[in-house]
Amino acid sequence: MITVVSTCKYKLSEEEFVRPIVEIVRVCGFDYKIVRYYEIIDLNDCSKVIICGTALRDFDYLNHIDNFELLVDFEGDVLGICAGYYILALLFSNELVRMKKIGVYDVKIVKENPLVETKNIRGYFLHNYALKDINDNLECLAVHDDEVSIFRVKRKNFYGISFHPEVLNKELIVNFLKF
Amino acid sequence: MKVCVLYSGGKDSNLALFKAYREFEVVCLVSLSPKSEESVLFHYPNVELVKLQAESLKLPLIMKTCLDNEESGLKALYEALKEAKEVYDVEGVITGAIRSTYQATRFQRVCDNLNLWCFNPLWLRDEVSILNEVLDYGFEIVFTRIAGYPLNRAILGKKLTRKTIKTLENMREFVNPAGEGGEYETLVLDMPLFTKKLKIVDYEIVGGDYDAMLIVKSVELVEK
Repeated sequence: MITVVSTCKYKLSEEEFVRPIVEIVRVCGFDYKIVRYYEIIDLNDCSKVIICGTALRDFDYLNHIDNFELLVDFEGDVLGICAGYYILALLFSNELVRMKKIGVYDVKIVKENPLVETKNIRGYFLHNYALKDINDNLECLAVHDDEVSIFRVKRKNFYGISFHPEVLNKELIVNFLKF
Repeated sequence: MKVCVLYSGGKDSNLALFKAYREFEVVCLVSLSPKSEESVLFHYPNVELVKLQAESLKLPLIMKTCLDNEESGLKALYEALKEAKEVYDVEGVITGAIRSTYQATRFQRVCDNLNLWCFNPLWLRDEVSILNEVLDYGFEIVFTRIAGYPLNRAILGKKLTRKTIKTLENMREFVNPAGEGGEYETLVLDMPLFTKKLKIVDYEIVGGDYDAMLIVKSVELVEK
């Protein structure tokens, strides 16, 4: 079972940020359930969690960050996309800095990882904040300029992606689902 | 939240409007009128038709003209959304963008510059599912422009049907089924939010076999 977490304050944003992820999960043949950020995340029978992104101006999920704390001890795999990247970064005590990025940019893979098979990709970015520096809990897998674009939580199968792979890089999500 | 809808009068912007109505207060429509069909950012709407659609929807319309280039289009969009914000207290913008990161990037940036929310409820949708959905909701849609083989002028003025959808699906190799690459454009004559429907009284088709346009010469609003 894949748990897909919506970080969207408005339902209309879910059409844009959650439905495309659910569609990839569905096409890959996995069962899934959708939970909202203001609900307790039920991890029973769940092997993977995908935390989706949301609209550029939407930060309401940060008022419910406590609901995500049980993920720290989760033994399964987690993929955080944009808002999900923020959440994972915060859960593991990292500080996001103001870094607005809207559009398609190059992403340079700096460390071999199971999500991306090539050295360079183009990603669709839509965010206000990102990581410039990371602490010892994380390792950097990909960058755009001075931004950490993909990170992994050390000793965990938790990945944060600052851009939206559902737009131009579906294979990253498919690779995650196939772990 | 009070929102406006980027409105061209075609199927995508009408479906986006229909979805927005369920959650937000739609207070106005915003339409950009480029100089020609070569515009890089916006569909080339028939200004008079959009005015009639807005009348049928009982929504005020903000319409700005622009040149076909990106700079002019973005400036006009900025001015139109600024007006929507100042006059109608709009806090968010609804678009019918489906797959173009070029278009989405620019809409997001303009909204961000004006501190407006941006919603794209059709984003990454399967094109055929969009066509079926508009028919499910009872939209009445006609083809108004085609640009490229294998679509030909015979389809202009014809209504979108399940059979047409099948045909477009079979052309997927050549044509984006939703026409997002400008392969075709549509006009919505009726949908559930219209208080009256549009009736085309007279029209003319201009252009070649595979690049042609339906020019509406006379149209009226009639009871549904």
